[in-house]
Amino acid sequence: MSSFSPLRRFGISFWPGLAVGAALLCLAGTIFAQIVILPQTTTVSAALDAQIWSILRFTLFQAALSTLLSIGLGTALAWSLFHQRRFPGRGALISLLSSTLVLPTLVAVLGLVTVFGRNGWLNDLAEALSGHSFGAFLYGLTGILVAHVYFNASFAVRGLLHRLEAIPAEKFKLARSLGLTPWQRFKLVEWPALKGTLPSMASTIFLLCFTSFAIVLTLGGSPKYNTLEVAIYEAVKFDFDLLRALKLALAQLAVCAFLVVVASGLRASSSAIAQARTPSIWGEPFGARCAQLGITGFCAIAFLAPLAAVLIDGLQADFTKLFAEATFRRALFTSLVLASASSVFTIAIALALGFARRNFSVPGRIPASWWTPVVSRVLAFSGTLYLAIPSLVLGLGFFLIARQFAGPLNFWAVIALLCANVLMALPFSLAILVPAMEKTALRFDKLCFSMGIRGIARWRLAEWPFLRADLGYVAALAFCFSLGDLGVIALFGNQDFATLPWLLYQKMGSYRTHDAAGIALILLALTITVFALVPRVFAGGRDAET
Amino acid sequence: MLKLDALTYHHTNGQSQIYEFSMHSKTGQITGITGQSGSGKSTLLDLIAGFLLPHSGSLTWNDKDLTPLPPEARPVTILFQNDNLFDHLSAEKNIAIGINTSLRLSAGETKKVRQALNDTGLEGFGARRAGSLSGGEQQRVALARALVRDTPVLLLDEPFSALDGETRATMLDLVGEIAVKYHRTVLMVTHDERDCSAIADQHFTLSNGKLHRV
Repeated sequence: MSSFSPLRRFGISFWPGLAVGAALLCLAGTIFAQIVILPQTTTVSAALDAQIWSILRFTLFQAALSTLLSIGLGTALAWSLFHQRRFPGRGALISLLSSTLVLPTLVAVLGLVTVFGRNGWLNDLAEALSGHSFGAFLYGLTGILVAHVYFNASFAVRGLLHRLEAIPAEKFKLARSLGLTPWQRFKLVEWPALKGTLPSMASTIFLLCFTSFAIVLTLGGSPKYNTLEVAIYEAVKFDFDLLRALKLALAQLAVCAFLVVVASGLRASSSAIAQARTPSIWGEPFGARCAQLGITGFCAIAFLAPLAAVLIDGLQADFTKLFAEATFRRALFTSLVLASASSVFTIAIALALGFARRNFSVPGRIPASWWTPVVSRVLAFSGTLYLAIPSLVLGLGFFLIARQFAGPLNFWAVIALLCANVLMALPFSLAILVPAMEKTALRFDKLCFSMGIRGIARWRLAEWPFLRADLGYVAALAFCFSLGDLGVIALFGNQDFATLPWLLYQKMGSYRTHDAAGIALILLALTITVFALVPRVFAGGRDAET
Repeated sequence: MLKLDALTYHHTNGQSQIYEFSMHSKTGQITGITGQSGSGKSTLLDLIAGFLLPHSGSLTWNDKDLTPLPPEARPVTILFQNDNLFDHLSAEKNIAIGINTSLRLSAGETKKVRQALNDTGLEGFGARRAGSLSGGEQQRVALARALVRDTPVLLLDEPFSALDGETRATMLDLVGEIAVKYHRTVLMVTHDERDCSAIADQHFTLSNGKLHRV
């Protein structure tokens, strides 16, 4: 009589995931070897020079300041939105704030320049009202901070608002019946709920700002404000100083690895479920209400104005001329093909890793053994490689590989772009898919095992109906990430191989503002359309409930 | 005396439901109110505590109209089933916040807090973080805070339903003692009729949006 083997039963969901995880780690190892081991003779002997230290210091400084400001403004806005539930357009504003995750960076930067730039709306208004303007404050450190806060405060708001919504209504009733002031209520009721999530949120924002590339490239304005990523780009693209690029990449890898290790220890406290609640019948005290309305109004204008600027300027572009340009048509085609391919690969890899991972997290599947924690960690780490290896370092690795092997550079560029885009989307995709996959396993494992439902039949009956909505969201997310990314393409882009963000950057750099506005509007429209439509198409017009 | 006279509330969340509450409760009297889930027990307490405003009718304490008063100005303290305490503060501070929300107490007020701790069987627990206390101990702290607030009406919104049988019986006895010793008017809503028969002086059931004396 043969004994029961969990690996035989779960092999179909285990081996593909393990193979994908191993392949991703091999990829990381190859890139690492290109940067660390192969050029060892030159890099190890050469100490990091003062200039690199200075770039590293500035990178850390701007990331820390951006994180502080983003968390501060995000907390103030989440608090204001939470208490002003009747603010006009509150729901739409929250949805828009959530969409910054997929908003192409350069599109937002172009909008910010139109509103806050030297000849922007704000300066025009100030000139008309007072005869003085604020000047070119949107470049250098201020510009970097404004753009980072624009993206990351919006990112923080949703998570923090969710935390506030999860505070039991009884706590607010208690605060009200005790007569707590808004400050006392914040200190005793709201802050304890928020603080559990702040360290992990801050570490994520810090990592995003530390590895920020497109914002610093476009708004940094001078080498004084270069971050490591931009310095790597300039070393490769302008100076062709590979030794310098490698030193910078090493510094970047070391700091990122340290930050990822630190961040992995800063988990958000247990997940919180938002509670249905109605606005307090007594309202907020006058001072608090004024502050909340002021913060919400200011943030709504500051967030919406750049998007409105992209729309208004974009509509004035000459689209006939733009579409007549062969470079534009090629860039559009390349962007759409790469984004679609990234989307498909992301879903396939996320599913493989997710199916393998749930074998270890769902009780009754693979029993604990000496090897299970190791494999489980390998699977988890392979899904978060992007955090340790930022896209420009990845691009540099592929650039070095391309120099060693035969074949056209554009071939390696496509591989590098696909890898970077998939790796970028994976952590978010796994965070969405794995909990849903665990739920379907918990719900249907016993039924499927007892009835012998497995393979395609199980996928059709017990997985797809419950994962399709999340898969649609992941597909849209991966597509939009890829569509808007200006990372690896900055290294590989040329007239024959361009994407829309690369072309937009070129147009912005050559002051062809009408063309740039047109491309930005097309990128924005594509992002919004895909993000609005794809999840609905996958969900088939209804949300599946697990 | 706490008096509700045709106190009406229209619930429009989801299903429409009209409640009309009439009853009175004398000083020091314990009133038990039972009813099924969704019958409006918590709505009744929310109206008295000021978290909801009635559409019509009157709510008075010793002939004083309570409806225009915000929750903090009403002569009422409410205890919920959960979330009565600030978990990160000590038991003593959770009680002290009932006297002064800025937690700056005079010597006399500190003594009052200690007395409340003793009266609720929490000697030696003052420095413990509220989050580290058991369910029964947490409800004792909440009761102690109700004592120091000196509000004559105590509303209990199923505060002991999550406790085990023995602890629950002890807590009910404690409520009975407090009502007598401190002359508190107690309104306790519960889904368990045994709670009412244990300590209530009068008993109502809630059905079809109205209170019916048992």
